[in-house]
Amino acid sequence: MSTGKKAPFFREYVVEEYIVQEEPFYLPQRGEVDIFEAAYKQKIPVLLKGPTGSGKTRFVEYMAYRLGRPLMPSRRRGPEPEEGKLSGNGHGIPLITIACHEDLTASDLVGRYLLEGGETRWIDGPLTRAVKSGAICYLDEIVEARKDTTVIIHPLTDYRRLLPVEKRGLLLEAKEGFHLVVSYNPGYQSILKDLKHSTRQRFVAIEFTYPPKELEAKIIEHEAGVAPELSWQMAKLGEKVRNLRDHGLQEGVSTRLLIYAAKLIAAGIAPRVACQTAIVWALTDDYQVQRSIEEVVSSIFE
Amino acid sequence: MEGIPLELRHEVQQYPPALGEELMQSGPRMRGLLDEEGLVRWCSQGLAIARQAARSWEAAAEYYKVSPLVLPALGVGYFFLWAREGEMVSLDGPSIGVAFFKSSTSVVGRIQGHQVESWARTGHRLFKGTWKSAVLETRFFELSPELLRHLTMPELERLVGLVDRLGHRSNELALECLSLSQEVFSQIGDSKESLISLLGVLVEKSWREVRACLEAVPQALARVEGIHRPEFLHLAERLADSGHPGICSFVIEGSRTLGQIEREQQSLVFQGASAVMAVDAMMVPEVFKNAPLVLSRISPGRFPLWLGEGLRIARENRDGGLAYFRLESACSEAVLESLSHAVELSRFRDILSLYCRALAGRRVDIAPTEELTSKGLGWVSKERATTEGSTVYLPPVVDRFSDKGSNFGWLKVVATHQVAHLEFSTFAFAFQRPSIYFKDLRTSLWNEKHSRDPLLRGPVEAEEIEALVPDLKRFFDLFPERKLALDIFTVVEDGRVDSHVVSEYMGIRGPYSRVQEAALRERPPIEGLGPREALLEHLVRLSLQWQDGHPVPKKQARLVTRIDRIMKMVLAPRATVEDAAEATIRIYAMLSQLAGQEVDQEEAPGQEGPEGGDGQEDTEELLQQSQYSGGESSAGQGSADNDPKAKQKAYASPKPVEYRGDLKPELTQLLARLKEASPELKEKAAARQATREGIQALLAQSVEIDIPPGDAISTRAFAENVMRESGMPPRDSDYVRGPFLHTDDEGGPLQSAEPDTYVYSEWDFRANDYKPRWCIVREKRVPEGDDGFYRKTIENYTSLLNQIRRHFELAVPEAFRKIRRVKDGEDLELDAVLEALVDIRAGISPSEKLYWKRNKVERDVAVAFLLDMSASTAEAIEEARHPYPGWDAPDDPMDYMMWLRNRRGEAGRRHYKRIIDLEKESAVLLTQALATLGDKYGIYGFSGYGRENVEFYTIKGLEEPFDDRIKRRIDKIAPLHATRMGPAIRHAAQKLLQVEAKTRVLFLISDGRPQDRGYSREGVEKEYAVHDTKMALNEAQRKNIVPFCLTVDKTGHDYLKTMCQDMGYEVLADIHSLPQRLPYLYRRLTM
Repeated sequence: MSTGKKAPFFREYVVEEYIVQEEPFYLPQRGEVDIFEAAYKQKIPVLLKGPTGSGKTRFVEYMAYRLGRPLMPSRRRGPEPEEGKLSGNGHGIPLITIACHEDLTASDLVGRYLLEGGETRWIDGPLTRAVKSGAICYLDEIVEARKDTTVIIHPLTDYRRLLPVEKRGLLLEAKEGFHLVVSYNPGYQSILKDLKHSTRQRFVAIEFTYPPKELEAKIIEHEAGVAPELSWQMAKLGEKVRNLRDHGLQEGVSTRLLIYAAKLIAAGIAPRVACQTAIVWALTDDYQVQRSIEEVVSSIFE
Repeated sequence: MEGIPLELRHEVQQYPPALGEELMQSGPRMRGLLDEEGLVRWCSQGLAIARQAARSWEAAAEYYKVSPLVLPALGVGYFFLWAREGEMVSLDGPSIGVAFFKSSTSVVGRIQGHQVESWARTGHRLFKGTWKSAVLETRFFELSPELLRHLTMPELERLVGLVDRLGHRSNELALECLSLSQEVFSQIGDSKESLISLLGVLVEKSWREVRACLEAVPQALARVEGIHRPEFLHLAERLADSGHPGICSFVIEGSRTLGQIEREQQSLVFQGASAVMAVDAMMVPEVFKNAPLVLSRISPGRFPLWLGEGLRIARENRDGGLAYFRLESACSEAVLESLSHAVELSRFRDILSLYCRALAGRRVDIAPTEELTSKGLGWVSKERATTEGSTVYLPPVVDRFSDKGSNFGWLKVVATHQVAHLEFSTFAFAFQRPSIYFKDLRTSLWNEKHSRDPLLRGPVEAEEIEALVPDLKRFFDLFPERKLALDIFTVVEDGRVDSHVVSEYMGIRGPYSRVQEAALRERPPIEGLGPREALLEHLVRLSLQWQDGHPVPKKQARLVTRIDRIMKMVLAPRATVEDAAEATIRIYAMLSQLAGQEVDQEEAPGQEGPEGGDGQEDTEELLQQSQYSGGESSAGQGSADNDPKAKQKAYASPKPVEYRGDLKPELTQLLARLKEASPELKEKAAARQATREGIQALLAQSVEIDIPPGDAISTRAFAENVMRESGMPPRDSDYVRGPFLHTDDEGGPLQSAEPDTYVYSEWDFRANDYKPRWCIVREKRVPEGDDGFYRKTIENYTSLLNQIRRHFELAVPEAFRKIRRVKDGEDLELDAVLEALVDIRAGISPSEKLYWKRNKVERDVAVAFLLDMSASTAEAIEEARHPYPGWDAPDDPMDYMMWLRNRRGEAGRRHYKRIIDLEKESAVLLTQALATLGDKYGIYGFSGYGRENVEFYTIKGLEEPFDDRIKRRIDKIAPLHATRMGPAIRHAAQKLLQVEAKTRVLFLISDGRPQDRGYSREGVEKEYAVHDTKMALNEAQRKNIVPFCLTVDKTGHDYLKTMCQDMGYEVLADIHSLPQRLPYLYRRLTM
């Protein structure tokens, strides 16, 4: 490679043009793909419920990919894409992910005016961009956002599919293909946090649970690139540890953690140690519970 | 009389004739022994004695009488010495003289001539011129022959020396001790010297104990190993020397302790004791007392280490050392634990319980085996692990190996085996479910059997409890020899479960196979067993993964191959319990034929069965075999009736495999069935005599329980126990251990007649309605105590308190939170202004809301803290939370008082922190924290006993200002009775409603589930309390009160989930964090 054409250190996407390029690995559990597709067709917003690391985000990515086939290359700012990597020029569905947090305001979502050398310039927020570009807009951990923020999505979620942009005095009609997906984790519905009913009842809900052992083993096998036997044991460990949910553990071990542990093992860490760091210590600080999980680990792994 | 001068003779005649007679009697013999002069001397010596006092002639007579016996023993020289001493002694009193001379005959044989003088003087020393001392001296001479039999003269002198000193204190005591010592010294052998010196010290240091000690010693020494006896006494002596009170009890207790210790280990204790003695004598008895316990937990070799650590502590801190040797300090616990190689279940109970829950995927409790055996359900072995379907029972202590790791490994294997029965569904056996590897024979056997004997359907299967009959019972009914079938099934099923464990859990494979190998080594030799026993033994070994061949009777070689094949199928990875059952049928068929051949030749002839199996053992053929056997089974029913004992006797169960414990599949399935039954069915079933009889018959029939045949009473008791265990209300009160459930159902609504009592309704979830005016809440004020606790808490928690204050102070501005974007306020909001400027440029009308202001809305919070003051809060928190026996309050008032007293007694002896102490500390911290906020708050406690006595204690009323009285009241918060939460919550809510506030919070702090007499009992009734509490919380919520439950009960998730469905609750994992957590939660809740 010549020195003139230095390889880029990073990739940059315009937010509404991030399109999932390669098919994410996703194993459907029980018809959630069909439900999502149907909801997408019928323009019904979707609420994904489920514990952490159970595959909600992966599912959204997968669906964005699946619904967007044939693929469209994303236009990258900055460095030119490598030639071979792009395929097709279809109309992939962009995926806009917004992680919600306590200080998220309405204008963070919708947009605001900026001053630029004495001139003002309107800049769209991610939600507005999604509405305009017909993207799938994924609001992750919606309960974290303040309640007054979440109400602005209300008109978007019913038959109107409108986004009022108050500042500009506009009403934006969502482009065909715009789809709102929100997620939340009922598990840590801590003392005072819950989804308002007026919000909650605007969505169809898909419940995510940890996948059954057989499926999870396959997922681990694929994600961590380990032998079927190891992934099976990992899945078994997952199943056993999840039996402790609500009895010392607030949440069961996530598939993500199991994958991490398997990856560590694949990288040459001894299984018991890998499970210790990736699972036991990650899950809990309670000594008794730690000891119990360690015993389970030592029963399963040599 | 020849040789005696006349004047002497005359003189003799002046005394009563008895004197003369004695002289005349002895005279001739004396003349032969003495010369002329000597004879005169002898004679006049007697007269000298006689002259002493009015009755001295009696002593003289005795003198004359014994002289001929004494003289030869002493020789002439010492004889006259003796006589002179006698004269001197007689001066103390004629009767003393008599005693002296009388004893002399035997004494002189036991002492040397020259010791005569010291003997006499020793006695004489006791004489103090009083009548009492004369008695003592007399007694001494009387006892001398006996005493000298066991003691040497110097020893006797020492003994008398101390008796003498004792006599200074009390003559009676001295006399008693002297008399006692004669007996004692005859019993104690070599330890006399030590005993005398012990007594010597005792006389000085604590003379009142001498007698008791003397009495105790013979028995005590008998318990001590011979060579250690002097040492033991020496120890007691040193202890006495150091001024320790209670030497006597030390002697008794100490020897008792030694009796519990193996002989070889006694010297350890002595070494230890003398080392401890060098530091502090007071600790010696403690070392003795606890030595057996310590030695039971650690190996003898480590005893010195344990001791050394204690001595180190003792040198630094005497009280610390004392507590250490009393085993009353955390440090001694820790040291013992680290030195011990035994694994105690109690320490691993929580861990194993979670482990088992993880494996089984459902709630599994861990309990020591005693708990099950005491329930009287049919399990009797205290050593062997088992499960009854929901709890895994494990031996309380494992001490098989010399290191902790192996012991724990063993315990884990045992637990894993038990829980594997649950995980791999041993007890989920279904009669109709097909097996995986076998052709199913069960149904056809069943049909065949019933077609032959339609009357088999006994009373057990009365319609309404049909559903309760365990499938395993139906299965075992197929076999005439139930015991054999059960044994086969147990072995096969255990083997199946083990093979599942080993293939599913790679990690435990190592320890598991080690345990299996060990079990194999313990198997009895196969040679010499009967044919059936040999095959069964072979089966056991197969199930234990026996690899190498082992001898098997040649005759059965064919059967062995067949069994091998069957076992291979059962041990395959996917085999189910039904496979084990099918295998049982086949193996049973083979074994029972074998028995038929051996025991009763007539039954087997002509049958092709055993021979037909050559070469190929495919399922088809096995089917034939088994069908044949099935036929025989039902036919055999008749013959078994004729001669059941001969058959039973001929067969002996294989030796159990220890780690596999005690499997009772039929009983377990019955229990599970009964427990799972719907409440209606339970009630219906319980109401019918048929059920009771059915269960009774079932239990009587089952071979899993060792009830003596025909013992109707115990079967009946078992049946009652089984029914109660499964939550059925028992009816025959004769066999019921506890009283009836929910006695309080009787009686109607209550009224509040007295002042400060309030009546509340209670929610009955079964009726789905309130029980009107059901509870009386009695409001009381906590008496004032000392404010020391308050001050001390503040001192102890200074840093935490500062932290809390800082947080709360920060919270105050939070309350005056900056509200952004308002039309008018303290200052311009920069973001808003920028936006407005931008908007102006952009040509849209800017927002008017350019200011921010502080929220002037004042906090208006009223909070009632409701503290659990139930007796269970007296539990120490340092200890692992183990449930006390009788944790629930008994219903009977008398029992209740006893229970309460015990519990309080326990609390009184405790030095460590209890849950209630943490609650109190939290209350203190809260008062401080809330003072910063200025919220209205009340602190209340609740407890009570029964529905008419719900106690509601005011520590601080909501409107009451905080002052010193409240500090003093906090001191008096104490554990009281039970926990009836519902009424207390209702009353607190009522209190909250009476104050003006925008936000009302009800904060409940408890240590466990609600329970009270008639409020929470076993089985379904537990739900009652939870539901009422839930309803009370709901009521509060409806009145716009925010309820919040905080519990320190780690198992609280279960019921809190029900209780606080959509309310906040928290289970504190670490009780210690209560003081930190409480203010934090409060802040979260109200801001």
